[in-house]
Order: sequence, then structure tokens, then C-alpha cells
Amino acid sequence: MKLFSEGENRRKWLTPGERAVMQKDFNEIWKVRMVRNTLILVPALLVVILPVVYLLMIWFVPPERMNGVEQMMKLVPPDLRGYFSARQSLFYLMENVVCPMFFLMIPLMVSTVTAACSFVGEKERGTIETLLLTPLRVRSLFKAKVFGCALVSLIVTGISFFAFLVVVGIGDLLLKMPFFLNWNWIVMLLVVSPSLTLFGVIFMVLVSGRSKSYMESMQLSGYVVLPLVLLMIGQFTGLFQLDALILLAIGAGVFVLDFILGGISARSFTPEKLMK
Amino acid sequence: MDAIAALGLTKSYDGKTNALSELTLSVPRGGVCGFLGPNGAGKTTTVKLLTGLLRPTSGESSVLGLSPVREPEKVHAVCGVMTETAKMYGQMTGLQNLLFFAQTADVPAQTARERAEQLLKRLDLWDVRDKPAGKYSTGMMQRLSLARALIHNPQVLFLDEPTSGLDPESAQAVNELIAMLAGKNGVTVFLCTHQLRYAQDICDTYVILSRGQALLRGDFDSLCASAGCRTKAGVRLGEGETLPGFERNGAWWEAELSSEDEMPELLKRLIGEGRSVYEARLIRPTLEDVYFSCFRDREVPA
Repeated sequence: MKLFSEGENRRKWLTPGERAVMQKDFNEIWKVRMVRNTLILVPALLVVILPVVYLLMIWFVPPERMNGVEQMMKLVPPDLRGYFSARQSLFYLMENVVCPMFFLMIPLMVSTVTAACSFVGEKERGTIETLLLTPLRVRSLFKAKVFGCALVSLIVTGISFFAFLVVVGIGDLLLKMPFFLNWNWIVMLLVVSPSLTLFGVIFMVLVSGRSKSYMESMQLSGYVVLPLVLLMIGQFTGLFQLDALILLAIGAGVFVLDFILGGISARSFTPEKLMK
Repeated sequence: MDAIAALGLTKSYDGKTNALSELTLSVPRGGVCGFLGPNGAGKTTTVKLLTGLLRPTSGESSVLGLSPVREPEKVHAVCGVMTETAKMYGQMTGLQNLLFFAQTADVPAQTARERAEQLLKRLDLWDVRDKPAGKYSTGMMQRLSLARALIHNPQVLFLDEPTSGLDPESAQAVNELIAMLAGKNGVTVFLCTHQLRYAQDICDTYVILSRGQALLRGDFDSLCASAGCRTKAGVRLGEGETLPGFERNGAWWEAELSSEDEMPELLKRLIGEGRSVYEARLIRPTLEDVYFSCFRDREVPA
């Protein structure tokens, strides 16, 4: 009896038609080389290659031979300054100031790229009309597409985090530092990155009404990364330090924004507007 | 109940000019309606309005009693739509495309596969079923689109230029399939086409559209009557003979008849008058005659 009701719930959650659209979107996203490269190369660069290069640099180059190290040391929380060596402090900064922003770019970029492929690409290829002629409700199409893009983004973000965990874990072991995972990272992983994933998808749905080509929408998506860059600059210049509470507030704020923009984009997701 | 009905259906894209003005029509269940008109007449707009892809500026319509505005998904469940702008997924094979669209229509997997295979064979796409649709020729893509429109066994079929871009053999195969669906399966067909000769063979009612307005509508006889196209008598006489009241057309003398029943009397009279009648024939108006007469009349300045 319990199994039956679970099955019923699953059916309500996503209909077979919605699942078919999601599956089709997954296959399509994976088959577009540019999108596939973004899904693989961008996370690899941000959470594997750059941290590894940075680790190698601080491992082989003595801190006293690097420029601006003293300036950077000021960014280390005062209570940790005496606790960490210069090399450890540099690695600490990478883990907690540089990489978080790199990491948050992943859900944002992956979601915008997949949504551009799913929404704008469909429009560009002329298949959106065919999809709108199916017996699926327009709301169902919207739901299946948003879920599909968000799921791809969450999976890529999860895998990226695991890769980052391994790379930075090795760095922590080599430099004899405590494991990096703190409340900031937990909030980023569980609250901020899902909120940014949704934001990226919804932003692209809104953009899809205006842009006619995949490339045009990708250019517009560059704007969504700007706030993250500003956050990174702010932290580097010592203007502010992000802690778990601020990150939680940012995540909650983005979720509220997602909710509002999601409502607007769902209303603008009509056959007439999509076929313009 | 009519399968397709429209009452005062009007659509303006810019709020100034009407792409479709006050269209009223009804197509009974199992009927085949030929929707004719030059490019830009409003045929595709009508199909999009009747299938819920566009919202009318005014007026209303229904498909099997369902409103395309309020419940488009239910309309799509009972009708198959093929338009030139509704493309197939180029990355997916022909078979995958059909199976995907069957899934969106909730067709059980086994039935979907059987039906997809049947349609691919019928439309001569079986050999290329595993080839990505993006590599199909225009004609193959067109036939795949038709197969897609038929995959869920629709009761009403909207076809916008189904044979444009097809070679004669493919066009014939598509036309035969449509005729079979309409004849044996009782599917209601709304056919936008430029192929007037073919339309005359399978359609039982017509609407001739120009600049968004229906110029003529009805069955062929009423169309002929409205357009003033009548059956003519054609007679070929001996060399040098003339026939008062008749017009010369090459070797033939022609005159309009009020009805075909006048023909035997006419022949009796001509033979009675001692004329050498080599050949005689009834020249019935074709849909082309009606269509061109309709547009010729409009070109004459008022």
C-alpha cells in the first residue's frame, strides 16, 4: 500500500511526458559540444586546475619570494594569523576567499549554459513550436525544462565539489592544515549554490524571450557572473568578509528573487511569446 | 457537433492590420476542408489560432468542442498538427523523434513503437529511421513531421502545406496517406494547400482566403455558383463551320450551360440543323477555375 502511494506521488511530481522532455533535454545538452565542454572544462578549471596550480606554486615557491604576500596576510582572520605559517595562510586564503567565488561560478555558469541550450536553443532550432503542439501543458514544459537544467547544474556542482574536496584535502594534508570544510562552505554548498542554480535558469528563461540565438543569450548571461566578481573583489580589498550568516542571508535573498522572477518568467512562458 | 468551428475569428499581430478577419467556418466530423489562398492570406495564422498557438484578437473557435484558448493541451491530444515552422529534433534519429513525441502524448511504449514503425514504413522513411533527422533531406523531414503529427492517432489533422518541397513520388505518398486517413479512418482534415488539383480530389468543403478574409466558402458546387463558374458545352465542328452564340476556343466552340441536362437537347438541335458534329464534351469547372476566377474578380477595380 505504501509503495503504491509512493508511486502515485512520483507520478504527480513528474508526469511521463515531463520526464520525456527532461530526458530529451539531457541528451540534447550533452550532444552540443560547446555546452558539454562548458560542463566539463569550466568546473575542471575552477576547482581542480587552478587550485592545483596554486598549491604547486606555494609548495615550490618560498612565500618570501612572492609579491604582495604581506598585503594578502591581512585578509587572514586575526585569530588565525599566529596559528598558520605564511604558506598555510596562503592556502587558507585560497580555500576560503578565492575558491568559494570560483565554486559559486559553477552552478551559475552551468545553469545558464544548460538553460540557454534548453530554452533559447529550442527556439533557435524551431523545435519549440513542435513541443508546444504536444498534449503537454505549457506549465508542464516550463517545469520539466527548469527542473532538467537545475538538475544538470546540481549534479555538475556536486561532482565539482567532490573534486574540490579531493584536491584541497590533499593540499591540507600536505601542508598539515585542518580540513577546510567549515560553515561557510556548508552554507555555500547547500543554500547559495542551489539558489544560484535556480537564478541562472530563471534568468535565462527571461532572456530567452528576448534573444533569438544561443550565442546572444550566452553573451547576456555574462552579466549574472558580475555580482560574484564584485563579491570577490570586495573580499580581496578587505572591504568585507563573508561569514556563514551573510552567505545564508545572500542565499535566502537569491531564493526570494528566484521565487519572484520564477513567477514572472512562468507567466511570460506562453506560446505566443515563445514563437516571436 | 462540428469537428472544427470558428466564429468571427480575428487576429491582429500589430493592433493595426488584421492577419485574419472575422473568419467563420465549420468542418463536420470526418470532413476534409481545403483551406486555400495565396501566401500571406492568413492560412498559417488560422491553423495556429485553431491549435492554440496564438490567441485570437476576437472571436472564438473550437476543435471537437474544446477551446484552443482555454485548453490547448486537450486540443493537442486529439489533433495532429503539421506546420512548416514546427521542426523536428535534428540530433535525434527519425525513430527517436517519433518515440519522444509519442511519450509526450502518453502513448504506451509498445503501441508507440508499433505505430512509429508503421508510419516510417508507410512514409518511406524506414531505411533512414536510425539516421539523425538533421541529416534528412527536406522531403524526408516533411514526411517525418507528418509521421509526428500522426503518432498519437489524432481525430483531427491540421496540415499546413504538407507536400511543399516534396518530389512528385513523395507528394503522392503523402496525399494517398491523407486520403486514406480521411476516407477509411474518418479523420477530420484541415488542409492548407496550393495544390488545387489534389485538393479537389480529397476535399469536400473549401475556404478561399485572401488578405485574411474568406472570399468563398462551402462545397464545390456552391463555390462554383458563388464564383460564377458554370459547366460549358464544347463542340468541334467541321472545317469552316460557325456556331452563333458560342465562343471559339481553338478548334472548339464553347457556350455556358445552365445545367448539364441541356447538353442532350443541344446536341439534338445541332444534329437537327445538319451540322457536322465531330466531337462534343461537357467542360466542368475545376477548383483552379474557381480559385482564379475568384482572384480575377477581386483585381477588377471597383
